Amino acid sequence: MKKLWRLVALLSLSTLGAAQTYDIVLKGGHIIDPANAIDAVGDVAIAGGKIARVGGTINDAAKKTIDVKGRYVVPGMIDLHFHAYGYEGAIFPDDTSLLTGTTTVVDAGGAGYRTFDDFRAKVINKVNTRVLALLNIAGKGMIGSASEDNVEDMLPDKTAAAIKANRDVIVGIKVAHFGKPGWDALDRAVAAGRLADVPVMVDDKIFTNAGRTSREKLLDRMRPGDMHTHMYNDRQVEIVSRFNGKVQEYALEARRRGVMFDLGHGAGSFLWPVASAAARQGFWPDTISTDLHSSSIMGQQSDMPNCMSKLMALGLPFREAIARSTMGPAKAIRRYPELGTLGAGRVADVAVLALEDGVFAFRDSWGKKLMATKKLEAVMTIREGKLVFDAEGRGFPEWTTAGDYEVIK
Amino acid sequence: MRARLLLALFLATAAPAQIYDILLKNGHVMDPANGRNGRMDVGIVGDKIVKIAQELPARQARTVIDASQYRVTPGLIDIHAHFDAQGADLNLNPDHNALRYGVTTAVDAGSSGADNFEAFRAKVIAHAKTRVLAFLNIVAAGMYGPQVEDDPKQMNVEKAVAMVRKHRDVIVGIKTAHYQPPDWTAVDNAVKAAEQTGSVCMVDFHPKLGRGYRELILEHMRPGDIHTHFYGRLTPQLDANKKLEPYMNEGRKRGVLFDVGHGAGSLWFRIAVPAIEQGFLPDTISTDIHKRSVMLPRATLLNVMSKFLNMGMTLDQVIERTTVNPAKAIRRPELGTLTEGSVADLAVLEVERGSFAFLDSGFAKLTGTQRLRCAMTIRAGHIVWDADGLSAGDWKEAGQYSNFK
Repeated sequence: MKKLWRLVALLSLSTLGAAQTYDIVLKGGHIIDPANAIDAVGDVAIAGGKIARVGGTINDAAKKTIDVKGRYVVPGMIDLHFHAYGYEGAIFPDDTSLLTGTTTVVDAGGAGYRTFDDFRAKVINKVNTRVLALLNIAGKGMIGSASEDNVEDMLPDKTAAAIKANRDVIVGIKVAHFGKPGWDALDRAVAAGRLADVPVMVDDKIFTNAGRTSREKLLDRMRPGDMHTHMYNDRQVEIVSRFNGKVQEYALEARRRGVMFDLGHGAGSFLWPVASAAARQGFWPDTISTDLHSSSIMGQQSDMPNCMSKLMALGLPFREAIARSTMGPAKAIRRYPELGTLGAGRVADVAVLALEDGVFAFRDSWGKKLMATKKLEAVMTIREGKLVFDAEGRGFPEWTTAGDYEVIK
Repeated sequence: MRARLLLALFLATAAPAQIYDILLKNGHVMDPANGRNGRMDVGIVGDKIVKIAQELPARQARTVIDASQYRVTPGLIDIHAHFDAQGADLNLNPDHNALRYGVTTAVDAGSSGADNFEAFRAKVIAHAKTRVLAFLNIVAAGMYGPQVEDDPKQMNVEKAVAMVRKHRDVIVGIKTAHYQPPDWTAVDNAVKAAEQTGSVCMVDFHPKLGRGYRELILEHMRPGDIHTHFYGRLTPQLDANKKLEPYMNEGRKRGVLFDVGHGAGSLWFRIAVPAIEQGFLPDTISTDIHKRSVMLPRATLLNVMSKFLNMGMTLDQVIERTTVNPAKAIRRPELGTLTEGSVADLAVLEVERGSFAFLDSGFAKLTGTQRLRCAMTIRAGHIVWDADGLSAGDWKEAGQYSNFK
């Protein structure tokens, strides 16, 4: 009881106390935070790496007050399918993600239980981006068919043990590129998922005589909460019938069952004919992700704002694009509400976006383009309360007014 | 007379028709090495530029790019980058940080030394689509912190010379950087190694008592050697009244070259603007791009160029300092030009008009009206970056396509 009183006294002191000093106040932006149903112009205050206040007018003192009028203020995006390790096209997260408003990336199976410690030491611990991981069911990770087809080294118990030892950063399991017939890889991944109580992300290649069908995969093998990535790649999973252009009944049923569908754009998995047919019938991704690696970043430029812009060009409302890039993926990896929202008290991972008007060309995996008149672009990124990217220099003073300045904080 | 004219006409039409793999139509070509500056077409066959002229026929090309809204320049050259992505911590991937910004040739400025250059070559240079060249660090262990970079025993001239001789196709010179002891060992050994290999020395210099900047550029560096980071706070280029020190122009007269090397610490508007106003422009514009400079000060080459455009330099001056000038500085005059017959490295750039802001190394802001943006990069005849889909067909005209073969 005494403790409770002390708490009440502390709380009232903090609200009654002298004017707050925030680290950053973002003034006048249009805030979109789907988790809290905020869609309005207002200010956001950040202190100690956390969101302190959201909405309304905030006139309290701040070390940095940044005018973001005409821009959208959203939770830092979460890219559910990224490659930061292991895979031959793996890329450095900061100069690709933080530059595009993406504060969290989930490495999709670069490492397996044998290589995860190396991944953690060399990448996860060294970068500014929040890097989480889906652990590959293949022990050595995504280093080619010698590892990815090796069923003997797909060990649910060892995989689950590695996950339990690294719960702070491993959020699920990845199965990918399995080149043998049958369900061994997927079944073992799901078995590991059960042992560690985490979701499985599925990347599949269906080939002649693989003995695998989209229907069986989605309805019998995957669990509710498991996700099929590369959803608009018609060789991985046939969501839209090649014969009549209709969304398959089993895809709708899988969705009702709770199986999730992830974009995973990549170099090979976004086809305008598939995506536009699915879009017309309202079959959108639950989560928007990039599958960013060396070749997709150069060829399709498919970073998060690019993927979101493409879906918006096909008719996805802007707010939905934000929800499916923030709250959606946070829920899919069971990190909601700690991630994916601007709720007060949450970590201050924030993206400031411009929705540009003009004529823009967006390319799919076949190099074919769709012309559109809107394009989303990241102009500022805040990671754990720190301004790490500022394309418009909104957070800093004009040099002519700064005197003989040294480094400006 | 008339017969001769007829003969000439006959010869012109009789020349075998050329089929271009790529034809860039109607772009504003800027090729300072050849004095070209105006609307022209560029024809590419294989990995070479074969023809630059007005009105090359579109029907003779496999791929036609409408470049009418863009500047067509030689692929840009960045002579100060850090791209040993498998080596020291601060290094970046070359392709993402060069090709996306129109840079087709990047020179790594001393990330590796004689002990680890060959690993850099095997792991990064050999796989990059960007042409990655290198200044070899005079420090044998490379750019791995003060314990090696301040150690005179690391500055082994023979080792460096042997490595340069073995990799002449890639190593263009010697780099010295970050040396803190107040003596000349680092600079003098680097210059000596460059001298013995007939190559260039790039100097990053921290002046100390008894080791002054004036002596550096007037006595220790040779004509053709490059001082990088010269708009940084470590260079005493301006006096207390912001007047240019006379030795700057003396150094320039001697032939010492002055390179930007923006980086995390070396471009300050409060220094560069008065220097430019007094006529002291950089010889070469380069980035010093690495993990700490790529984010806030945004030291991509296009961004650094845009900063200079908005500080008052002309587009012609900026393009010259990122094509022909750096090519000459590293003694690769075959690069940085659109000469017919040369390798087809090109950048297709847009000059955006509007209100744009840029930060310097002190995070002070310059608001300006122009920004450069890269629409397309062509490297050795391959389109490696196409942000505006100029080479792409519309999907609605492509019929039904599928990943099912």
